[in-house]
Amino acid sequence: MKRALPYVLLVAAAAIYPYAVARVFLDTPIERQMGTAFKIFFFHVPMGWLCMLMALICGVAAAVELRRRSQTAAAVALAAAELGFVCGLGVLLTGPIWGNATWGKPWTGDARQVSTALLWLVIAAYLVVRHYGPSSNRRLAAALAIFGAIDVPVIYQAVKWWKTQHPTTEVVGSLPPALWASLWPALGAIALTVFGLLGIRIRQLLLADALDEGWARQSDLAAAKEVRHE
Amino acid sequence: MRLLRQTRLLLVAELRQELRSLEVVISSAFFAVVMLALFALSLGALSPSAQLSAIPGALWLSVAFVGALTLTRVFDRERESDTLRALLIAPVDRLAIYLAKAALALLVVLISTLVLVPGLCVIFPAAAPIVERPLLSAAMVVLGCVGYVAVGTLFAAGLAQGGGKNVLLSLILHPLTTPVLMFNLVATRALLERHPGTGEYLGRMAALDVLLLAVAAWLFEPVLVGGAPRRAPGDDARIAAARARARGGRP
Repeated sequence: MKRALPYVLLVAAAAIYPYAVARVFLDTPIERQMGTAFKIFFFHVPMGWLCMLMALICGVAAAVELRRRSQTAAAVALAAAELGFVCGLGVLLTGPIWGNATWGKPWTGDARQVSTALLWLVIAAYLVVRHYGPSSNRRLAAALAIFGAIDVPVIYQAVKWWKTQHPTTEVVGSLPPALWASLWPALGAIALTVFGLLGIRIRQLLLADALDEGWARQSDLAAAKEVRHE
Repeated sequence: MRLLRQTRLLLVAELRQELRSLEVVISSAFFAVVMLALFALSLGALSPSAQLSAIPGALWLSVAFVGALTLTRVFDRERESDTLRALLIAPVDRLAIYLAKAALALLVVLISTLVLVPGLCVIFPAAAPIVERPLLSAAMVVLGCVGYVAVGTLFAAGLAQGGGKNVLLSLILHPLTTPVLMFNLVATRALLERHPGTGEYLGRMAALDVLLLAVAAWLFEPVLVGGAPRRAPGDDARIAAARARARGGRP
């Protein structure tokens, strides 16, 4: 059951997607000020939330990995970072499209834009260190993930002092019920996809670790036999 | 007290080594001069109002680049002779190692700012408030550099100890030190505009420095030494060797 859960989540997501898309494009009224471009909101906001959640999971798993050198925590941190990277990319691509339609320019250097872009950069740096650094740099990558999780609210506050014109968090809170009814299916479908992929990727990374260890053990045995023959 | 004594001893040893050649100080200060020349050529003709926007960026970008160079050079010595491992084996508190290294890097970066800040005041007339309020300016520069060095020392040490590539330091350091640089930019802009709340911005910079120093000091030992291993020591090397044998080559 545990092994099948990610696939169950993906199947559920596949079932919800058509309903979510139909709701957003056919049943949701067009927003008066922003026009049709507002429909991006229903995909942009869930991806933004999931990107931050993945960064948080990555930071917490990295802290556990660093304290206990747990391979499971290492796999969770890496898988969460990869999915955070993808969600962040989605946010950074859909945001400027929405911004261009609403503010007249895709990038305004606003607090939330800059903090999201920097969070994405930290996740990208973490992935580069994990994939291209030597194996001993795993601990360094974990520290990077922890710092990244701490950095995000600080960057956000710093840019807010500088300038901001992004919709405040109250905008999401004050959404009319009709828009919430469209946001929930979109959020559900994207979240189920992300968690399904997270489960599959964690299992894949743990299997790769187990395979590496088995490979090393077998190779050691073969080398010992060679020495005995000589 | 023991921690302070160990930190002082390690810092004195670092300073003695640096005074023999002045290699890190001279290379960082010279790099600061190069940055100033580049800013003079590219931004020297800006209008006074545009200079107000350019000066904070020019100052803190220079500090970021000089800081990355300094941290790389400070730990290159350890990398070349693998002495960081010896330091970690020595009966010294690991926090003292971190504090001594951070203090040395901070000292070198501050010496570079002694070149940078007056240079920027000469190139940009709009930087006059920095000269008019020397104590506030000095506090701002010191607080800005402390935060940068606090994060940088941790990652430079981690790369030096793990045999990592130097190029990774810039890749890690610049996204992570952005909050410090953002706080510094805001405070510098306030200082240049003679904002009455400049002191408050410096307080926020000090709070961020304390947070970063605490997190970096907490992470220093786990990053360099690690927690209780689940895999046996040397397992990663065994896996790499097994892979090489499977490909038909020698490990």
